[in-house]
Amino acid sequence: MKIFWSFTRQAFHNTVIYRFEFWLRLVSAFLWMYSIQWVWRTLYTQRPGAFGVSLEQMVTYGVLGMVLETFLDVGPEWYMATQVRSGAIDTDLMKPLDFHVHMLARSTGEMLFSLGVISIPALLIGYTLFDLQLPPDVSTGLLFGISLVLGYLVLFHLGFLLGSLALVTLDIRSISWAYYSLVSFFAGQMVPLWLFPQFLRVLAEALPFKSVYYIPMSIYIGTFTGAAALQAIAFQAVWAVVLLLISRWAWSRVRARLVVQGG
Amino acid sequence: MVASPSATYPLAALSTIISMIHIEHLTKDYRRLVRKEGFLSSLRTLFSAEYTTIHAVNDITFHINEGELVGYIGPNGAGKSTTLKVLSGILVPTSGRVEVNGLVPHKDHNANARQIGAVFGQKTQLWWDVPVIESLRLLRDIYKVPEAQFKRNLSLFDDLLDLHEYQNTPVRQLSLGQRMRADMAAALLHNPRILFLDEPMIGVDVVAKDRLRTFIKEINRDQKVTVLFTTHDMGDIEKICSRIMIIDHGQIIYDGSLDQIRARYGTKRTLVVEFEGEVPDFEAPKAARVKSEGRKKWFAFNRFETSPSYLIAHISARFPIIDLTVEEPEIEEIVRTIYRGQAETSEAASP
Repeated sequence: MKIFWSFTRQAFHNTVIYRFEFWLRLVSAFLWMYSIQWVWRTLYTQRPGAFGVSLEQMVTYGVLGMVLETFLDVGPEWYMATQVRSGAIDTDLMKPLDFHVHMLARSTGEMLFSLGVISIPALLIGYTLFDLQLPPDVSTGLLFGISLVLGYLVLFHLGFLLGSLALVTLDIRSISWAYYSLVSFFAGQMVPLWLFPQFLRVLAEALPFKSVYYIPMSIYIGTFTGAAALQAIAFQAVWAVVLLLISRWAWSRVRARLVVQGG
Repeated sequence: MVASPSATYPLAALSTIISMIHIEHLTKDYRRLVRKEGFLSSLRTLFSAEYTTIHAVNDITFHINEGELVGYIGPNGAGKSTTLKVLSGILVPTSGRVEVNGLVPHKDHNANARQIGAVFGQKTQLWWDVPVIESLRLLRDIYKVPEAQFKRNLSLFDDLLDLHEYQNTPVRQLSLGQRMRADMAAALLHNPRILFLDEPMIGVDVVAKDRLRTFIKEINRDQKVTVLFTTHDMGDIEKICSRIMIIDHGQIIYDGSLDQIRARYGTKRTLVVEFEGEVPDFEAPKAARVKSEGRKKWFAFNRFETSPSYLIAHISARFPIIDLTVEEPEIEEIVRTIYRGQAETSEAASP
């Protein structure tokens, strides 16, 4: 467990050096939060009642989606791709640490750091400037927390699978763009799944991506309560386990046929 | 032709000799995609790909005992890095037996990783953006190095590598010499029994190189760390290695001591003579005049065909000499000859 904390400390030192990037990330989070709440407010003045939930709920959903992105977006895929390209992946593979655990520790360290340093300030901005609602009660808050952890695990493993692909194709830059659009769309980061057209909704409901934003945020604003919330969490848990197993399997396959670039 | 390692280094006899690296009939093949020219053809490779097999390492066998400092040399693409990767458990061998201090690297990966350290000249295991000391702290946690050992090693690195000078600087701001020293510290932080050095001196200046060599020699002597050292710099080999292995086209073509390689391949000598005055060109028996410059002349000869004393006697009988030297071939030249092809050298080498 200590290793997770070590990586968090490392992420801190990393970011202290890039102070400019830190401010950029905060400003960009602010702009996105501002834009999304403005879009929903405008839409609600045009057609109130057309979106299934109250304006306050929808604004909370949208703003929260932007806040969550500030710390969830720490997938291992870029690190893996960069290490493969530079050949430094050798030094990672030589460590007496399971590579999958290593990546999980690294990503989680960065995630915890971003959570503390960027997301909390972004959240405070959200509450003071954009009418972000608090969860209705403690148990909802707790369920949201559990759901968020599972969502993070799902996203991590999707990223890990993409990163593993980098070891086969040696470059994932083009695939990454498709992947990121896919995630943010099907995860319902900006637009909740209930507003999707029927055929897209069926697809989005079956895919694992909704675990990342849609489920935790629906629990937060209270559209998933009681049994529905538990069922959604079970869905996330199943996907987290399935993706973990696929990741371990895929990694062992990739590992076996590994050819390090520049070898 | 190939010096058998077991003949040169008898494993047996002394019970104090511990075999550290044990490689038998190791072969590692790579499959490379055959790339086709043209759009349609490259599109076709998406569906049916053709591969060629490359034997990066082809049936090599060697043993290294504890405390040896072995230079592992060979031209680019000869299979050096592949061997190191197999020994560190990164690559799985296609066939053959590999043991590092009793462990099979690709099976006991983590246990093996704890007993080896590695420095790559081309890549760093330190994290680019963080101060050196933070990378070392993270490595301490990854390798589970006890705090007392960590402190002891840091002060050792302070003494030998001047760690304090750059420990708070991010790696990307270090000079290459400092980076290599920092990487050396990172590789030895967990007190490995075996150290792999993969071309660690590339681009390092003379002074820094000298310090690194001294450091490597010291940890080899004081901590009994076994070192396998890949390099293109024959100076490294001459200054610190007790044994050298040469690999080419995936096969070990020489394995023995530096003196042996000299005795075996370094049969060419050059006699440089400076005369009192201008002297016409003349021939000496069993020697070739290779150069004439002012009052100096260079004569090349094979030390098995004639002796310097005979040659000197012959020349001084004809013209007065004021100075002379006998030049041995550089080890670099010897190695170049070995790379170029063993056939001709073996002819020249036989007395």
